[in-house]
Amino acid sequence: MSMTIATPLAAADKPRRRARKSRQWQGLLYIAPAIILVTIFFVIPVLFTVWMSFHNWPLLGQPSWIGLDNYIRMFSDTRFAAALSFTAYYTVIATIAIFALAFPLALFVQNERRGVSAYRTIFFLPVVVGLATASLLWVWLANVDSGLFSPILRAFGVTGRSANLLATFNNAFATIIVMVVWKIVGFTMIILLTGLQSIPSDLIEAARIDGASRWQRFRFLTLPLMRRTLALALILSVTGSVLAFDQFYIMTSGGPQNRMISVVYYIFNQSFVSFQLGYGSALSIVLLGILVALSVVQLWLLRVGDEK
Amino acid sequence: MANATGMALRQVRKSFGSTDVIHGIDLDVQAGEFVVFVGPSGCGKSTLLRMIAGLEEVTDGEISIGGRDVTDLDPSQRGIAMVFQSYALYPHMSVRDNLGFGLKMANTPKAEVETRVAAAAKILKIEPLLERRPGQLSGGQRQRVAIGRAIVRKPDVFLFDEPLSNLDAELRVSMRIEIARLHKELGNTMIYVTHDQTEAMTLADRIVVLRDGKIEQVGTPREVYENPNNIFVAGFIGSPKMNFIEGVVVDGGVAFSGRTIGLGYTPAEPGTAVTIGIRPEHIEVGDGGEATFSVGVDFSEYLGGTQYLYATLPDGQSLIIEHRENSDIGRDTSLTVSCDPGRIEVFSATGSRIGRQR
Repeated sequence: MSMTIATPLAAADKPRRRARKSRQWQGLLYIAPAIILVTIFFVIPVLFTVWMSFHNWPLLGQPSWIGLDNYIRMFSDTRFAAALSFTAYYTVIATIAIFALAFPLALFVQNERRGVSAYRTIFFLPVVVGLATASLLWVWLANVDSGLFSPILRAFGVTGRSANLLATFNNAFATIIVMVVWKIVGFTMIILLTGLQSIPSDLIEAARIDGASRWQRFRFLTLPLMRRTLALALILSVTGSVLAFDQFYIMTSGGPQNRMISVVYYIFNQSFVSFQLGYGSALSIVLLGILVALSVVQLWLLRVGDEK
Repeated sequence: MANATGMALRQVRKSFGSTDVIHGIDLDVQAGEFVVFVGPSGCGKSTLLRMIAGLEEVTDGEISIGGRDVTDLDPSQRGIAMVFQSYALYPHMSVRDNLGFGLKMANTPKAEVETRVAAAAKILKIEPLLERRPGQLSGGQRQRVAIGRAIVRKPDVFLFDEPLSNLDAELRVSMRIEIARLHKELGNTMIYVTHDQTEAMTLADRIVVLRDGKIEQVGTPREVYENPNNIFVAGFIGSPKMNFIEGVVVDGGVAFSGRTIGLGYTPAEPGTAVTIGIRPEHIEVGDGGEATFSVGVDFSEYLGGTQYLYATLPDGQSLIIEHRENSDIGRDTSLTVSCDPGRIEVFSATGSRIGRQR
């Protein structure tokens, strides 16, 4: 009896299940190109880097397995510690500087006013210049004799004689921060702008009727409603800063007294100047770990994905 | 009607650049009155409401609420509360925080916020929803929360901007009744914007018919229906739309489609071209009325209780007839219909109504 009932049910079920299965294969087919690209250009290199990090891997000659020695070595590497602390310092200052300027700019170009698209374009323009190109440009701008800043500072009587902006740590660091802000702020501004524009104007009007002041509207409506956008902009900015290399390499070559060596710069030195590829790989893996951890912390702090 | 407050508009104008959208509106709203702004889209009704709310700057003129000039005051200072079409609830706050947001901004003591939120929630029966987020509510519940947020502010005047447009038909009817009940309970002055004439007719103490930023007529629902000032109001109020037929004035009546109908008065100089208006619900099938004419039915719509007959007069002008009797009238039939001449309106070429006032 039960057989006669069960048979037609199973028969009816079969074609549907087969259809679902073929749809799953179709989905896999669609994402296959992306998977292949990510595998070839990200997963395999990362795995290979991990493999290299367990070796003493000179440029010429035979690599030899040394286990975790590269990772243990890091703990007593004072230059790596210095690079880490410099990178952290740079990341904090650069991120604060970028947000401090990008937010007002985003608020400024959000309103429909005359020439707003011109402003948006002008603020965004430096973003399309490559970072290395921008660094080279600023090396010239900061040149003692033929540059722009030094003569200007002298003409206004700020400095008595020609000043080399890149000669002392503080001036060089400030110059690099200004350059990076000039270069990046347009990008952060555009991201923040999309967040601002995604807030319905009705909400702001309802808050105006509710008697919220401009600051209260920003504090209680704009900021919380931009949480996701803020997280995106923050992670991009922090990641970009932690990975900073071009500006230090090109503008200061590691800076006065080698005090501007960022982590990536240090990895570059270890790998391609000292040719300790194994140690460079280990450092890269640690940096990757640090970045993932930072992003997780930021997502958690901004409670992204915790909507409703 | 204890603490209700009236409102007055004096020569209120609004222009965006060189385009005038509101042309000198004068309006007095009595304390506790339910006034509905109605008109086709683009008539300026929402703009006018937003000007009263203070969300839109007034180019010229004066708005006063409770005898106090509020023209240049901040929206929060006007003693108004507004319910938006999109509900405009704060998505990241619980219903409780949504209701209490305005009070919190005004630094109201916590205990009072609690009591007022609880009172509003009770009126609207949304107490079980207080801890939820707007995203977890249905459209009707969101609408209640939006109204609740307005109630909590204890405003002098409630402003509604097409509050039911985003709801489905069934919910719209029940929320409409809810709003009417609320008005009775609170007794506040309410201004309500809609393009739906059923909402206007059922809710309003007085209807303000707007077109192109001008008031066409202000009156009770009965006045605007039975005594329209002009052809626009006559056509806008009532469904199906009033029939408009081209005709001429004759001595003691009008003539159209080869028929002369005595109205008992001469609307204008005989021979003047006029538009004759007859509502579909005032035409009867059969020759029971005084004025009879024959039509050909092209097709009909059956609506259960009634039937709309789409007919043509002998000279080709079209006529819609609302037929309430049970007999089914099919397409391509010839009929004799009639109506009471007292129900016939006559409009001049400029659109204003002529003839005796009832």
